[in-house]
This record gives sequence, structure tokens and C-alpha cells, in this order.
Amino acid sequence: MIQEKLYLKGDKLLDISNYEFKSIKNALRIGREKTIQKVKDSALKGRGGAGFPTGIKWEMAADIEGKEKFVVCNADEGEPGTFKDRYLLEERPLKVLEGIMLAAYAVGADKAYIYIRGEYSKAIEVFSEIIEAAREKNILDDNLFNSNFKLELKLVRGAGAYVCGDETSLINSIEGKRGRSRIKPPYPIEKGLFNQPTVVNNVESLCCTAEVLNPESDDFSELGIEGSRGTKLLCLSGDLNNPGLYEVEFGQITLAEIIYDLGGGINGNKDLRFVIPGGISTAVIKADDLDFPYSYQAFEKRGSSLGSGAVIAVSKKHDLLDVMLNVSRFYMDETCGTCFPCREGNRQINKILKAFKEEDRKIDTELIADIGNTIRLAARCGLGQSSLNFITSVIKNYGKELKFGGKIYA
Amino acid sequence: MEKIKSLFYQDSLLEKLHEIQSTYGYIPETEIDNLSEKYQLSRANVYGVISFYSMFYTEPTGKYIIRICDSISCHLNESDSVLKAVKSYLDLKSHQTTEDKKFTLEVVECLGHCGEGPVMMVNNKIFTKINKNRALEILNDCM
Repeated sequence: MIQEKLYLKGDKLLDISNYEFKSIKNALRIGREKTIQKVKDSALKGRGGAGFPTGIKWEMAADIEGKEKFVVCNADEGEPGTFKDRYLLEERPLKVLEGIMLAAYAVGADKAYIYIRGEYSKAIEVFSEIIEAAREKNILDDNLFNSNFKLELKLVRGAGAYVCGDETSLINSIEGKRGRSRIKPPYPIEKGLFNQPTVVNNVESLCCTAEVLNPESDDFSELGIEGSRGTKLLCLSGDLNNPGLYEVEFGQITLAEIIYDLGGGINGNKDLRFVIPGGISTAVIKADDLDFPYSYQAFEKRGSSLGSGAVIAVSKKHDLLDVMLNVSRFYMDETCGTCFPCREGNRQINKILKAFKEEDRKIDTELIADIGNTIRLAARCGLGQSSLNFITSVIKNYGKELKFGGKIYA
Repeated sequence: MEKIKSLFYQDSLLEKLHEIQSTYGYIPETEIDNLSEKYQLSRANVYGVISFYSMFYTEPTGKYIIRICDSISCHLNESDSVLKAVKSYLDLKSHQTTEDKKFTLEVVECLGHCGEGPVMMVNNKIFTKINKNRALEILNDCM
């Protein structure tokens, strides 16, 4: 039987009086440089989807001179299939708070924001109470644990926009603007919120840093394999018998075990067709290619990505075209409209797929691939760039199976 | 430096919009005027921000905002049958409000309960693992 590795997941952490803040105390003791060094040594990669090394981000931000620096916790979890950050905010908010403190201390920021998507009403309620309790206990605002480090933290609620998960869109949103992405460079670590150096970290990434700095879980950084260290929260959904949130160690479990052991296998009487490994902006992994250890590099090798950790199993019960249309509608509705290729491209893809379904028209796979390449090359933000990964991978792998009216196209 | 500090201490426009909406149920034009003055933005600019975000309304909504997720994980678990039943029961399309101002229907993207789909939200309350009968029951409880 496959065992979970529990670090991020666990009993509820809601009572600030019983929480010891061991990681931040440890960081305050060893100092900024060593804190950053520890996160760098842990080889922690961002858990929001892009996988940028957290320690390097912190180091660059710490080195930049700025009048004022900001840390932003990105809790705008919106990638379909993902619910790990909601779990952390609702059940383990003290770890999230500690992660924010660590980031702020490491880079030299004394002001931080947490941006939680508006639909997460329970998470917003829980985290607001945590901030309130921390203020009352003089853990925020004041000199933190008798050090000379101060931190002010504000919560901003999102209001229903997937694109605000992109860090530059999120920054615009906090500034009270439309959540449209910015051209990079300059990157947020140079010019972010109010044009000041800003570190944006995902909720799970920040919780991981709290594990890295916790003297009681110093084995966390040794877990996994080279290139993929620590643990990962997996959000299992789709056609599985046991969907839900699981925590696994990198490299020690195969995707097949994730689907058939943790996930309890495929429900109903149909077989698995493919797995969407990291949310709908990642390319599919076919059912006959699941026998490899879960790691960043194994997905990269397959032209995909572990994305946000949203593992969605899709069985043969579903009409491929229907699934593609669902994903296509998502991007058509959620593109922020700033970059023409993403805005119009996703609309055209939806048109092509609809015409294929409704008017029995031939599907032009070359045109879809062209549009996909154009968006990938021309969209500003990662969300736009990856918007056609799923659809193009389905066409690549299953183009010949796409049937309509008994005929085979593509 | 002082300016940046004051920007931090100033309420984010987004938070202000949330507050106004929770008072009135939507964002009335007079408040757009006030915000435009307070934040030194044109009214068009304030309106542009409001219209970008799907959770803000400039018209009164129903007493109950019914949000039903139809993103991939819920969709694989037959959220479309729930949607169909709710749409025909309330005789509404997405983004519409019943004449008696009781219900506003929103077909939405992922609500972050993907392991427990299909999912429906009534105002701030989440209902998981629903089917079409359960959805209609929930609506009836609001009546």
C-alpha cells in the first residue's frame, strides 16, 4: 500500500496560542542570508505551476535595492482541478502565515499582501481571523518575537478572474486595476507592486519554505530526487474512486500508483483514457504511459508539466470533443483580452471545435497547431502561453480517434 | 516613499468595491461617482475595473446568487445535467435574474472543490457532490 508523506497536510492548525512558529524563530536566529541559503539548498521549486526556484527568487529580491519591498502571497487558485491552496488556507493557515513571514524576513520586506480569490469565502473568513489573532498577540505589526523585524499584512479579496493568478495581473488587481498582465521585463522582483521590488509566491510554496526552515522537519529538503525535492500536494479529481487531496514525496511514487492506489482506480466500468497531470494548461499523459516516478523532469520529458498538482483522470466514458469544448470555453471566457493572439485565438479554437461538432465540418489540425504556437510565442503571461497545451496534446494523441457522425477526421 | 506607504494603507479599490457590494448587493452609480473622486480616477476607469471582475454587479441581483461550476472536474461528473435541471426549473440562462428578484444564476468556472463535484454555491455557502435532485432541493430550501 502506498503511503502518503505528511508535512504540508495534517491536523488543523488554527489556534495561534498553540502554534510555536518554530520556522520563523529559527530564521530570525540564523539570519537573512542563511535563511535564503537554506531555501536555495532545498532546491524548492514554486508550486503554483511555473516551477521557478523559490530560493533564487528570494535571493534576487533580497539583492535589489528598493525604497520599499513587498511580499505577495498568491492565493488566487483558479486552475480547474486545483484545490490544495484552499485546503492550506482553511485548515493550515498558520503555516501559510509563517511562510509569508519567512519570505518577508528573507527579502527585507515589511509589508505583505495575501490575495485570496473571492469565491473562497471560507478561506477568506479563516485567514482574516488568523490575521486578527496575530495582531492581537503582537505577532504582526510589532517587533516579531523580540527581533527588530516588523511585518504588516493585508488581505485583498479577488473578485472572479482566473488571470489574476498570473503574478503581474495579480499585482495590477491589488493596485485596484483591471487584472491584465504586464510586459516582462521588468519582472516583479525589480518593479512590482506600486513599482517597488515585489516577491510573489504561491501558498503551497510558502508552506514548503516553512518546512525547510523548521528544525523539526529538516529532512524535508532531502526528500525526493535530484531536480524534484520535498513533497507535493496532489489534487485528485475526475473519474476516480477516491478523489481528494494527497501529499506525496517526489520520485517515490509513479503516476500509475497515484491513479490506481491513491486514487482508487477508475470509477464506472470504463478504462482510463488519459491523465491531465497538472490542470488544464498541461498536456495529457496517455493511459499506457503512467509507469514513471512523479517528478518535474519526468513530465517535462513527456512534453508536459506537473503544473499546479491537479491530477485529473479522464476515462473512455467521455466524448473527447465534449471535453475539448469544455476546456476551450474556459480559456475563451477567462482570457483577460490584453494579448490579441490569446483573446482571438481561443475564440477561434472554440469556433473550429463547435463547427466540427455541429456542422460536421472537417477539423483543421494544422490551423489549431498554428494558433497554439502563436499564442505560446506571443502571449505575455504563462496562463495565456499554456492555454492550448491540453487541446493540442489531445489532437496529437487522439486526432485519429475523433469521430463525428461515424466518420473519422484529422 | 511616503506615497507608497499611503498606497499600502489606503483600502485597495477592490476591497472597497467588495464592501459597497455587500452593503447594497451591487455597486450603484452614486458610489461609482464617490469612488472616482476618492481614488482620483475617471468614472469610466472605475467602471472598467468593475466590469473586469465577474463577481461585481452594477445592477441589483437576486437575493440568492446561484453559482454552478462547469469546469472540467465537475463537468466529468455530470455538472451539465445539474445545470440543465436548474436552468429549466428557474427558467433562466446564465447571468440572468428571476423576475421576483429571488435568484440570479451564474454558470462559473472552477470553485476549488474538484474532488467533490459537482459543486454549487448559494451566496457564500458551498454544496458538494450534488446531483440534479439535490440541486432543486437546495433551491426549494431558499424559497
